[in-house]
Amino acid sequence: MSIVQTSQLTKIYPGNIRAVDGIDFEIAEGEIFGFLGPNGAGKTTTIKMLNTLILPTSGTATVVGYDVAKKPSEVRRNVGYVSQDVGIDEHATGRENLTLYGHFYRLDGKTIKHRVKELFEMVELTDYADKFASTYSGGMRKRLDLAMGLLHQPRLIFLDEPTTGLDPQTRNHIWSYIHSLSRQMGITIFLTTHYMEEADQLADRIAIIDHGKIITIGTPGELKQSIGGDVVTLSNRFSANEERETFVKRTQSLLSGKPFVLEMQPIEEGLAVYVDNGESAAPAILSLLAGEGVEVQTLSVSRPSLDDVFLKYTGRTMRAEEGTATTYMQLKRRRGPR
Amino acid sequence: MEHLLTDIRVQVMRHMRTQIRMKIWIIINLIQPILWLTMFTQVFKSLSDLPGMEGMSYLQFFAPGVVVMTVMFGSAWAGMGMLQDIDMGILSKMLATPVSRVSIITSRIIASMLILLLQSILIFTISVIMGVNIATGVPGVLLSIVIVALLGLGFAAFSNGLALYFKRPEPLMGIINFVSLPAMFLSSTMMNPDLLPGWLDTVRQFNPVDYAVVGIRGLVLEGYIWSELWQSLLVLTVWALAGIAFGTLMFRKHAS
Repeated sequence: MSIVQTSQLTKIYPGNIRAVDGIDFEIAEGEIFGFLGPNGAGKTTTIKMLNTLILPTSGTATVVGYDVAKKPSEVRRNVGYVSQDVGIDEHATGRENLTLYGHFYRLDGKTIKHRVKELFEMVELTDYADKFASTYSGGMRKRLDLAMGLLHQPRLIFLDEPTTGLDPQTRNHIWSYIHSLSRQMGITIFLTTHYMEEADQLADRIAIIDHGKIITIGTPGELKQSIGGDVVTLSNRFSANEERETFVKRTQSLLSGKPFVLEMQPIEEGLAVYVDNGESAAPAILSLLAGEGVEVQTLSVSRPSLDDVFLKYTGRTMRAEEGTATTYMQLKRRRGPR
Repeated sequence: MEHLLTDIRVQVMRHMRTQIRMKIWIIINLIQPILWLTMFTQVFKSLSDLPGMEGMSYLQFFAPGVVVMTVMFGSAWAGMGMLQDIDMGILSKMLATPVSRVSIITSRIIASMLILLLQSILIFTISVIMGVNIATGVPGVLLSIVIVALLGLGFAAFSNGLALYFKRPEPLMGIINFVSLPAMFLSSTMMNPDLLPGWLDTVRQFNPVDYAVVGIRGLVLEGYIWSELWQSLLVLTVWALAGIAFGTLMFRKHAS
């Protein structure tokens, strides 16, 4: 049985902004489900509808067996929520923060004490339990936040961008918690992220969302396979903008229609060419271009990544560091003349 | 119901704890009434020579005003705490739990009430030490606290409601400053009502702050003047209920 099921779920904000535009998906119990997309794609809005913080404009969602619009309190009792901004009270200690939420989740005093102790051990904050949250580092806050979402042993937990703004080491640390939550405790995890790597590492299945719509859905392997064999990236990254544009255009026209080329996509530094077999295609491409006098400065052959999946379906690349999707045109404009 | 009471209790504890932990806040709250009682009574010392004010020290006249001013200024800022919870993502995190919705705003108002209760008792105690004679004694002080609590309840509720409405500190701060000083001066807080100009005497009839001052001053200076007391209690109850209605409405709007 699926633990989350949506049907044409839609949220329209005033001004006819379709933040989430008729999405359908299901999450199986025990799964880590990744929601991948740039900022403003509708990830947080979807989470907020699923955990009853906002009402859908239309469509339905069933979470842990209850309709979010009709039975919000049942949903709240059975799900945990770790929001993007760490919602902890800095003027209170870690223990006070957790205890407060224990009451909110209707646990009795004895259970709260027990759970709080257990959770501090789990997120390795036992030594800091009675220190003020204002003294916690970013990673410690996130761990406390995670513990707050787990107090009531929910069947499903929503993690909204759990590692945004954390350093790589802390990020790895959080990833291992998320992984063990799922594998050892059997909690279903709904994870949103704009980090390709995070989705790739953690998620059993990924939905790619852009402009409020789900573009594609599948396991990371399936998504990458949908692109085909390999990616040959051709660049003349050391040239000026106009030259690069000419390079991309010429290469595109020279390669189009060639049997070994599946698809082409302009990217920041040049052109991504999707081929069946990179090892044999690369020399063929090079000799073809050399014959026409087109100079290639660098060439790389790689297996497709989720970046390529996003690029293929949207025609844009996802800039992980900014979390925003950038079109090729935007990139060109932003650079301007040197 | 049982859950509602637990929710209110644990949140009131949280708000009180936050306040008490700020040592500077405690110190200021201790010093401020003493400063007002000593400073203002020096500034307006010669007022007690005026006709209608003679025969009593200005301190005696002004002490009820200090109680009302402290409570008004304190509770008018109550919404700032709510703003911080909104800003830090604490409120939306709370709303994702089964916590009773109404407890979130109720607990804030109750915590404000408890604090103003302590403040009022403190000011009355300091006043008595400084030589103020309270005509109705301890029962009068208790009744005064009821009066001032109703005033503070209204202010705290409106403040929380405005915080939820604007979701930003600037407009809230603007409104508090815009309202609180005139509310004090357009009343008989600092001056005998008989000596106020006619228009001001009319305006103060619409000012809840004045009803609190008149009610408490009667209890301190003269005794139980029930006609005035009932009027004060009635007007302030309406004020408090209006505040609660506004605050609850804004909260409902925010939470949905």
